[in-house]
Amino acid sequence: MTTPTRPILLNSCARAATAEEARFRIDRPIGGRSALVVALDDRAVEVVDRVAERPWSGARFVRADAWRSDELDDVDVAIMIATSDADSEAASAIARACTERGIMTAGLILGERLDVAEAVSALRPYARNLMVTNDEDDVAEVLTALRA
Amino acid sequence: MLKTEVNELLTQTGPGTPTGDLFRRYWLPTLLAEELPENDCPPVRVKILSERLIAFRDSEGRYGLMDEFCAHRGVSLWFGRVEEGGLRCAYHGWKYDVTGQCVEVPSEPENSNFCSKVKLTAYPLVKVGDILWTHMGEPDKRPALPEFEFAQVAPEQTYTSKRWQESNWLQALEGGIDSSHVSWLHSGGLTSDPLFKGAKGNEYNLNDLRPFFEVAEADGGLFIGARRNAEDGKYYWRITPWVMPSFTMVPPRGDHPVHGHFWVPIDDHNCWAYTFDYHPTRALTPEERQAMKDGHGVHSRNIPGTYRPMENKDVDYLMDREAQKRGETFSGVRGIAQQDASLQESMGPIVDRTKERLVSSDTGIIKARQQLRKAVEALRDEGVTPPGVDPEHHRIRSAAIVLPQEESFIESCGDALAARAGVAHTSV
Repeated sequence: MTTPTRPILLNSCARAATAEEARFRIDRPIGGRSALVVALDDRAVEVVDRVAERPWSGARFVRADAWRSDELDDVDVAIMIATSDADSEAASAIARACTERGIMTAGLILGERLDVAEAVSALRPYARNLMVTNDEDDVAEVLTALRA
Repeated sequence: MLKTEVNELLTQTGPGTPTGDLFRRYWLPTLLAEELPENDCPPVRVKILSERLIAFRDSEGRYGLMDEFCAHRGVSLWFGRVEEGGLRCAYHGWKYDVTGQCVEVPSEPENSNFCSKVKLTAYPLVKVGDILWTHMGEPDKRPALPEFEFAQVAPEQTYTSKRWQESNWLQALEGGIDSSHVSWLHSGGLTSDPLFKGAKGNEYNLNDLRPFFEVAEADGGLFIGARRNAEDGKYYWRITPWVMPSFTMVPPRGDHPVHGHFWVPIDDHNCWAYTFDYHPTRALTPEERQAMKDGHGVHSRNIPGTYRPMENKDVDYLMDREAQKRGETFSGVRGIAQQDASLQESMGPIVDRTKERLVSSDTGIIKARQQLRKAVEALRDEGVTPPGVDPEHHRIRSAAIVLPQEESFIESCGDALAARAGVAHTSV
């Protein structure tokens, strides 16, 4: 005796992965991500100042020498920006504070890889996600992708 | 998160689209060589970059790839006969050679030269390794043939399969450069799959579920390093290369063959995954080759006579909740390839990237999208040849390596990340 087949609605099976069915996905506003962007050296400050002029959801931009740990209180991600002169002490302090608070850390190092090798080494232990790039636009690109 | 216009820019690859123009600068996998196994074998329908084509192999062994439809009344040449150096339409007998040139119109007088005025759009079709490749762009922009190592080693050292994926190509590519899902979605396979199990590196993968990521630019695309803790204060690195537009390699495990993918748009809602496994220094064993044919490793178990996986959306991917509960599979879907495809297809044919919530561990995906967009715009606006066209960019490898904490993967692995004939891959 065969088991009777139960009719299955389209949305109850994998075939619902169509463009038409996508119209029924719940459309709810997506909140931004609270990001603290820290410039770790002088040239990074110049970059961060330029990026900060754009409109952001709530991202805050600071220099390493002006950074305070209480600025992390409502932050989801701390993004450290460096060029060849990254301040590893500041990176270490920020990373420690982030670890205590369960905050994700990321690092963007701008420049030719060989020129920024020291900065990469300085940041590697502290940034869970590290990007080395020649393209200054990557700072804004990452912040945009994260809805910062 | 991407803006709507950028999502559309990167996902549309038909004729006249900017990303379609980008793809048309590369040699692209078009068929497996096994699909045209002998001279005068049946023709094969092909759709690639939203163009419907017919592929055939003539009496002299020449491969042809051209418009699927006869210039006369628009019937499909798939019904045609491959005979005496060409493909003859089954309707009225018009005959075409591998260049798309019409060479015979039987209804015309014997001394007519009408056929010389009829030519179908045609593209070159060239065998390199197990794959037939085409270049659909302008002939004067045609680069040298591809030099990916998997297609350069001896036939006994390599195996390629393909499968149909019911999603846009970019979803598939993004899965290929997203190392962070491996410890979750594929965790079952690391301990049981015959093409993965036994490697020391698997222990590092399973013992550290929160890897650090490092993204580095490369001439042809990116290197994405995933770093996990190893013993004695060292790091275990898994390094994934991406060569534009859609070639990736998975970091190797032990002495297992190393594998990777090339994703090719069929149209904007479907793509082919060409999946290879090769070993740089030895022949694949009969057991390895059989395991690949059986859909282990990163290959799929296809419905016989097709390139559609058995675990497909029409059968809910043969979801096995008991296997999921036992921990044999993390998602309940069998096989690494279909574990990926099932989730990527569930996003919809083109995922709405305006609604995603990326995190900083998605940096590789963010950077790849940015590189793609910039390459598309540079080609569209200034005619700049994109990265990955030059065969020099193909001579790369993935690697798995344990390094002291202070060493950078990109500086320490320079040789390991370059294809070197007769030299084993760097693996743990």
